[in-house]
Amino acid sequence: MAKEEASEPILILRGITKRFQGITALRQVDFDVRAGEVHVLFGENGAGKSTLINIIAGTFQPDEGAYRFDGLHLSHLTPHRARGAGICAVFQEFSLAPNLTVVENLFLGREIRRGGILDLATMRRRASDLIEELGFDLELDRQVGMLSRAHQQMVEIAKALLGEPRILILDEPTASLTEREAGRLFELVAALKARGVGIIYVSHRMREIRALADRITVLRDGQLVRTLEAAGVQDADLVELMTGRKIDGLFPTFDHKPGRVAIEVQGLSAARGAVCDVDFVAHAGEITGIAGLVGCGKSELVRAIYGLEQIEHGEIRLHDVAQNTLSPRHSLRRGVVYFPANRATEGLALARVVRENASMSSLDVREIARLGLLDTRNERSLVQQAVDRLKLRPPNLERPAGRLSGGNRQKVMLARGLMRDLSVFLFDEPTVGIDVGAKREVYDFMGRLLQAGAAVVVVSSELPEVLALSNRLYVMHHGRIVTQLEGSEKTEQNVLASFFRSEANAATGAAS
Amino acid sequence: MTVEEADMRSSSRGDLRALSRWISAIGILPVLLTVLILGMCIIDPRFSGVANVTNILRNASVLAIVAFGQALVLIAGGFDLSVGAIVALASEIAAVTMRWAGTAFPEQDALIIALGVGAALGTGILVGLVNGICVAVLRISGFIATLGSMSVTLGIALIITNGIPVYGLPQSFITQFGRARWFEFPSAAYVAIAILLVLAFVQRRTVLGRYLYAIGGNSEAAIVSGISTRRYQIAAYVISGLLAAVTGLLLTALVGSGQASFGGDLMMLQSIAAAVIGGVSLHGGVGRFGMVALSAIFLSILSNALNLLRVDSRIQPIFIGVILICAVALDEIRRRRTVHD
Amino acid sequence: MTDREASMSAPSPAALAGRIHVSPVQLILPAGVVILFTGFALADHRVMSSANLINILQQTSFLFLFAMAQTIVIIGRGFDLSLGPTASMVSVGSALAMAVLGTGHAGEPVIVLAGLAAGAVLGALVGVFNGSVVGFLRVTPFVVTLGSFNIATGIATTLSGGHPVQGMPELFFQLLSTGTMLGLPAPVVIAIAVGLVIHFVLRRTVFGRGLYLIGTNARAAEVAGVPIRLILMSAYILSSVLTALGAMILTARTGSGEPSIGGTLSLQSAAAAIVGGASFSGGSGSAGTALLGSLFIIVLSNGMNLVQISGYVQMIVLGVIVVAGVLLDRLRAQRS
Repeated sequence: MAKEEASEPILILRGITKRFQGITALRQVDFDVRAGEVHVLFGENGAGKSTLINIIAGTFQPDEGAYRFDGLHLSHLTPHRARGAGICAVFQEFSLAPNLTVVENLFLGREIRRGGILDLATMRRRASDLIEELGFDLELDRQVGMLSRAHQQMVEIAKALLGEPRILILDEPTASLTEREAGRLFELVAALKARGVGIIYVSHRMREIRALADRITVLRDGQLVRTLEAAGVQDADLVELMTGRKIDGLFPTFDHKPGRVAIEVQGLSAARGAVCDVDFVAHAGEITGIAGLVGCGKSELVRAIYGLEQIEHGEIRLHDVAQNTLSPRHSLRRGVVYFPANRATEGLALARVVRENASMSSLDVREIARLGLLDTRNERSLVQQAVDRLKLRPPNLERPAGRLSGGNRQKVMLARGLMRDLSVFLFDEPTVGIDVGAKREVYDFMGRLLQAGAAVVVVSSELPEVLALSNRLYVMHHGRIVTQLEGSEKTEQNVLASFFRSEANAATGAAS
Repeated sequence: MTVEEADMRSSSRGDLRALSRWISAIGILPVLLTVLILGMCIIDPRFSGVANVTNILRNASVLAIVAFGQALVLIAGGFDLSVGAIVALASEIAAVTMRWAGTAFPEQDALIIALGVGAALGTGILVGLVNGICVAVLRISGFIATLGSMSVTLGIALIITNGIPVYGLPQSFITQFGRARWFEFPSAAYVAIAILLVLAFVQRRTVLGRYLYAIGGNSEAAIVSGISTRRYQIAAYVISGLLAAVTGLLLTALVGSGQASFGGDLMMLQSIAAAVIGGVSLHGGVGRFGMVALSAIFLSILSNALNLLRVDSRIQPIFIGVILICAVALDEIRRRRTVHD
Repeated sequence: MTDREASMSAPSPAALAGRIHVSPVQLILPAGVVILFTGFALADHRVMSSANLINILQQTSFLFLFAMAQTIVIIGRGFDLSLGPTASMVSVGSALAMAVLGTGHAGEPVIVLAGLAAGAVLGALVGVFNGSVVGFLRVTPFVVTLGSFNIATGIATTLSGGHPVQGMPELFFQLLSTGTMLGLPAPVVIAIAVGLVIHFVLRRTVFGRGLYLIGTNARAAEVAGVPIRLILMSAYILSSVLTALGAMILTARTGSGEPSIGGTLSLQSAAAAIVGGASFSGGSGSAGTALLGSLFIIVLSNGMNLVQISGYVQMIVLGVIVVAGVLLDRLRAQRS
């Protein structure tokens, strides 16, 4: 269908600028895609990758800049028009209706009709052909809401491919796929390339980038750093381009002094199988890291410890005391605090002011409330102190949390950790969506907690981060802890190797 | 009263796991309904008499039709408080139009009835359209928009007639339609079944049906998939208004006069109760019209049974309230068990 | 993720409605009340008569109590459809308690106290029921209270046998209706006192703070250890007890326990709460907004009554006002 010479870009963006609420997410970015190439978008969280792909897919309108597709200027693009033009996107947030079946979702918005009536048989046939071609194991009549995340991801990809796209956007498509499924996806990408489809591939996994990329565009803080040919690029160069500094400078070095055991977990199974038979220990005075892919159960593990997940088996001991009732309220009283990954949905009440958000988890503390009555003066001064230590900008307590940037929102949440006596700090993806400067401040915050002798647990999908921060690192895969690394064993290679080992074990286990 | 209570008690003591699996496969409603019907047939012979069955079917049909509209709006993620008021206004508009047409075109019953029916249906569509525009274009929550339009619609209905019933309908409208029985069944049942068939077809085989479910399930996904959500939201409210108007017509033909008292809160609340007991979720995206019909039949039989058993009519709402909450609580528990995170 | 957050940092309507800073748009409603009142006063001199002013105050007091009851659950992102029938049930129940005791030898104060207690307990029971089903089973408040709507209606009509209940002691009327303090009728005094208490409870207690947080983001509140079940439960109980108080004052004014006293109160109280500025998306509203909303609706209907606009037309006006009020709130949110 696309017979253009590979050299001529089919999609050209020039000088794209996008602002949200005064925050500039993208500044004067140029970007293009040729037919039949894989163009990788590379950058940290918050660098502007998702804003850019959302603009390409028509979800956002750029504030400035030109958008040319196939030689035509496009403006006022909507997702629908973009799709009609052959630009399809597979986002991390799925565009699926959970109450509809797989077939119904595949054809959502472009049902095949005959005389105004849905042609169920034809849609079914085409769907099953496509799914067979892709080699996905999907049941056509299952409700999408009942599928696992990986299967939903497959539906999403199949949905995008059904439209015979000319530009396909894949936003971290392997985040929730197994190695085997990811392998199949790579074959698929190669096949699409051969058919002349231009592919925009967002990822920060070096292995995938090396395997797939023709060109790489690096974004940092909303600006284009460079677009370069993939051949001959070294990983270290990319990381340096991405972070703007040598990687050593990004993470502080901590002085871990492991003390007594703060958390001890034995044979824990929780969250409907998301966590399977896990043994885990965290000491006071050290940072314990948990690494793993999205959906491997690492987040559920700390959530279970905090009391947010249902526990099926096993024991959790805090400071050598077995815990029977686990709930956020009890955990806080016992000195355990959890900072959730998703600040908008689980962390903050965005419409309420900074002060109320910071004191939210301390409403049962005597300094703030007695006999159910709030001491607002005391509350204000306590929050002010906490927020000052975290360098919240602006340090205005009466501003709705929703009007702060990602980094400052995180600080408001972290301020909760300074409002009451706590000894165990559970961080879930602590630096997602915040800029480099704020990241550094989050790390410094952890450093201060360590010095004060607290036990810190960090869960992160960013491997370099957990590797650098932790004293001991657990690696999780499919709900189980597959290895524990310490000292010089803590390398990216070893972490990845442990995934493979676990995959191999699973494969032989399934075969026998 | 004793029968279904006894049933509920025995089932709660029975083998819970097998029962819950069975129930989650077909829903608890058919079970309750069967037990209720069998129990009543044994206890009271009047229950299965022709007059009583006709009565039940009439009530159930009328309720089912409004509940279908309500269900459609709920499935699309909305809310329609104005259905009762539309029933009232459509009834009066029909009656007033027919009375006027009766003097303008005497003896031409077909024309008179057509005008009255047209005016009533037009009223329903119009109110539905206003609701839809408020919700889809002005983006006011369905609850508030229809709360407002309910008040306005009922106000208009009362102004038109000052709350006094409107007589002067063509006799044939009443005898050959409203109170008629075709092949032993009341006319309303045929109307309800026809509507049910159309809606089931719409749900399975048309884009409209599929999009309403998609919008209710995940409106973001619907928008991203290029569905014009506004148009379909408006359509849902219009259909709901139209069906409420049909109900108004049926009641008018049955009673023989147009009355503002047909509608009101009770009809609206019953339509929601019927939809919700029939498994329609207030979260949107879930619901089957067949089950709504069953639920309407169930509620009608229940109230009929309570009457036959001489249960004080004043206590009856308590039964409906308890059943409603149990139905939804069960549904909620089931939902939480199946949908992870 | 950042981009997503950045795009979401556009404040939601609830966010803006939740702000307490006074902005010009927020003066629209108070200004509306004043303009309406002046308009009606110019149209008809009876509006300014002291009898009518007292009347307005009294009626506002009734609606204010119910609007506050409704506002409290709306803040927690709930809704109480059963408010009206609860009022009916309390009216009948407390009247019945007093009438029954009145046949014995108990003194008037004892009888009245028993009546008040009976009413409050009946109200609290409804609150416990609604609150526990909403809080623990997590069933949508609308359906829960639709259920209790039916139940309370059934109980109210059954208790009364469908007839008004009479035979309450004189003290009851004095206390809740005919008595005066500082020249103000008892209902007005009670409404002011209760309003101040509720204002304090919402602003200065852990319960109030928690309620706003739950209404804004229940999940975040739960993760932060706010006891959401307990607070939701308390909110429904507080709401129903306020309803009970309002119902008893209405009973004292009517002179008998009426199974139909609740009538359209559920929706009327919701209209007052929403027009005042509470939002169904939760987290906003206060005693102040309930007062403004009630005052607006009462001034409007009082004026329309005096200039002899029919009750039916008033229904239409009320409907339009509710929708317009919400639309205005939304536009205001959009602008900033």
